[in-house]
Amino acid sequence: MQTDRQEIENLIARVALKDRDAFNQLYDRVSAKLFGVSLRVLNKRAAAEDAMQDTFVKIWNNADRYNANGLSPMTWLITIARNTAIDRLRARKKGHQDIDTPGFELVSPGLNPEQSVVASSEAARLSGCLDTLEEDRGSAVRGAYLDGETYADLAERFNVPLNTMRTWLRRGLIALRECMSQ
Amino acid sequence: MTDTPDIPRDDDLFAAELVLGLASADDVSTARRRMATEQSFAEKMIFWQERFAAMTDSIEPVKPRAKVKKQMLARAFPTPRTPFFQRVWLWQGTSVAALLVAGFLGVQLLEINTRPDSGQPIVLAAQLTSDNSALRVLAVVEPIKHEIALRRVAGVPAPDRALELWAILPDQAPVSLGVLPDQETVRVLVPEALRSQAANITLAISDEPVGGSPTGAPTGDVLAAGAMTEL
Repeated sequence: MQTDRQEIENLIARVALKDRDAFNQLYDRVSAKLFGVSLRVLNKRAAAEDAMQDTFVKIWNNADRYNANGLSPMTWLITIARNTAIDRLRARKKGHQDIDTPGFELVSPGLNPEQSVVASSEAARLSGCLDTLEEDRGSAVRGAYLDGETYADLAERFNVPLNTMRTWLRRGLIALRECMSQ
Repeated sequence: MTDTPDIPRDDDLFAAELVLGLASADDVSTARRRMATEQSFAEKMIFWQERFAAMTDSIEPVKPRAKVKKQMLARAFPTPRTPFFQRVWLWQGTSVAALLVAGFLGVQLLEINTRPDSGQPIVLAAQLTSDNSALRVLAVVEPIKHEIALRRVAGVPAPDRALELWAILPDQAPVSLGVLPDQETVRVLVPEALRSQAANITLAISDEPVGGSPTGAPTGDVLAAGAMTEL
């Protein structure tokens, strides 16, 4: 029996060959999760629906890049959804922010095919590790990833100078990395 | 004390900041290039992408409304733009009642002289309409003078746009009959090449820049169209 992961990977591979039926199945399979992510970031149904449509159009147009990029299939899909929603959120806030450039998940990195991805248990350790960070730092990392906060936004929120914010957050990232590699 | 970050940014922190969306636009383009060429850098990006994605684990799936899928599929698979005259053929069906009205108005319009010695001339008429525009135009061919008399009964050109009239024969490129003037009625001459096949003409009106299509072929939407019918 195929695992979920294999199944989604196969669907993406067929979508890369422009198989519309596979694209339909992939949508039915993952749209609720991706819509949940879009909605979490944008917090408005109409905007989240738009963003999710963008997300799936990107998936359709870029599925051929998935194979080489070394990400697990759900991470790839979620990252597209998250980045698309964040772009939209920032565009709404500031008028413009890099909205037409594809995210890194759509770049084909120079990896060997056998380079394997992280086990999901390892990735899941992040949440536990985030909780071990000083509260503000964990909140800053979450704010950047899920709310699209920039260094400037974070510095304002925590009422510290910009570079102090950078220092803080980098300390947090180092602590995260250590925690996750334990 | 100056405000400088006291933690230098190594490649790994750089990758983490990129994935979080905290890097500058310049950093992003550098990273894009490095990702494609440096394996170790690509691995660092992947490391953080995988781990940060775990922040979405606790987000509950929400079923999107059915229409979202429909709209998305329409965007992912845009239907190729239907060639101009196929679009026109779609609107050929014109009701008999409408044509009777057209004929009535048309005959009045033309005061066609049906001399007994020449027999009853064939009167061709068309009603130009479409579902996506308010424009309605009646057209009647004056068989002896080879003129088409047109009366715009509803609709106006959009501001700073023109209405251009086209004659189309099956499987041939549309031939421009000119830009319609502002007044409601106008007469245009049927080009000689089309006269023998006047009964097969479909007339169409497209939305064009002021002065008419710059290319000699319709460039804008078809606002109204209709096939000639014998009355």
